[in-house]
Amino acid sequence: MTRTLGALLLLTVAGWAQAQTTPEALDWLRKIYRATEKLSYTGTFVYQQGDRTETSRITRLAGAGGGAEKLEVLDGTPREILRTRDEIRCYLPESRTVKVDRRSDPRAFPALLPEQVDGLAEYYEVTMGEMRRIAGFMCQAIVLTPKDDLRYGYRLWADARSGMLLKAQTFDRDGQTMEQFSFTHLEIGNVSRERLRPPRAEGWHVEQAGVAPADLSRSGWSVSAELPGFRKIVEIRRMLRDAQPVAQMVYSDGLAAVSVFIEPMPGGAEAARIGISSMGAVNVYTREVANHLVTVVGEAPAASVQRIGNTVEYRPQ
Amino acid sequence: MKAKISALMDGELDAHELNEPLSALGKDAEAFETWRTYHLISDALQGRALLANDCLRRVVARLADEPILIGPLPADVARPERGRWFVPSALAASIAAVALVGWMAIAPQQNSSPMLAPVAKAPQPAQVALRAAPQAPVRLPMTAATRDYLIAHQALSPRNSLQGMAPFVRSVSAESHPGKP
Repeated sequence: MTRTLGALLLLTVAGWAQAQTTPEALDWLRKIYRATEKLSYTGTFVYQQGDRTETSRITRLAGAGGGAEKLEVLDGTPREILRTRDEIRCYLPESRTVKVDRRSDPRAFPALLPEQVDGLAEYYEVTMGEMRRIAGFMCQAIVLTPKDDLRYGYRLWADARSGMLLKAQTFDRDGQTMEQFSFTHLEIGNVSRERLRPPRAEGWHVEQAGVAPADLSRSGWSVSAELPGFRKIVEIRRMLRDAQPVAQMVYSDGLAAVSVFIEPMPGGAEAARIGISSMGAVNVYTREVANHLVTVVGEAPAASVQRIGNTVEYRPQ
Repeated sequence: MKAKISALMDGELDAHELNEPLSALGKDAEAFETWRTYHLISDALQGRALLANDCLRRVVARLADEPILIGPLPADVARPERGRWFVPSALAASIAAVALVGWMAIAPQQNSSPMLAPVAKAPQPAQVALRAAPQAPVRLPMTAATRDYLIAHQALSPRNSLQGMAPFVRSVSAESHPGKP
């Protein structure tokens, strides 16, 4: 009995010791962050989720003011997204629509800053994994294992030299991979500005998000962020689709993010669909509160997304 | 019916074929006896320990005493074999005769009736109480409308700092816009 207990204890301690966050692993996260910010590159990556795969090309030009970046979906209709310092433009050819999300203040796009990386260790065990070769690059694995069931875990593989992220997996509490991004080809270095030219979209319908800061508590809305680690990082008002004002609040633990959207109940019975849907690691939870539609979108387990959604309250003032 | 019950036990039936044998098990004493006999044969063949003769009766009596709460379906319905519904099937075979009827009735219903999974009527005295957990959400498919939320959300995710624009691919993924590949 004592021996069994001893063995169990030893196993527990061993498992615990193995899962401790190391400064080296945190340094690697900072290295990935700097590479994402500083490198120019172009490459092809595959997004996998369930039995679906989709190939896309990503091109990034580093430069003053955050540079510019372009994502082109290579399978199916050629959807493209272009990002500059203060704007995201989404080109959707099937509906001939350009969705424009513009910020007057680029700081309105939240970021995980290098100095905030240490904070991640509060909710994740950040550890070093094995070396592996991916798309011709020798990569170091870094594993973020969540300390609770409220968030997913991440396995990241970064080029040992440059820190460029070559592969990322999101996994659930059973260690099962929910989704994966993996480069199959990558060239780091000179990228011509030509490659970042927007696609032709003459005559396309343009939807402006018209983002403005907001304070929802003033109009009687409250969301209690009772989920440990998730704090509110942004609160805005914006347009969604055409001329439909929506409030959006984003909660994050530094890496995982959950958005809460609140809008007047759209007309038409079929418009309001109450329930939960998911794609890869993203869960979407919809409910109705005080004749408003509440939509919670997050890269977090369904239970977390639901818990945040269920705390939305309206108290008229 | 015997062939269907045999196929049901072997897990060879498709979702739409399950209703008939399952409802027969609840109504038809002969079908239920067949179900028991087949399990007995299977237990004997595989050398599993047999339970006391009146075990089923006692389990049924206990079930009648305590209402069973049928909760919402697990979030990851894509992997039902890992879900919590697996637990009843791990019980000894005779007990499972009751539990399995319920479990198998639930399993194929994941898409058709996610709100409240019905349980086939258990034999004789057992009154199985059903109660949906509060706020059990309906599972919905992703629609084109969802894409707008995904784009708006992704634009504000701190994850972009580590991965650049790659995660945006979710928001314009073909799956978030079914019908228009």
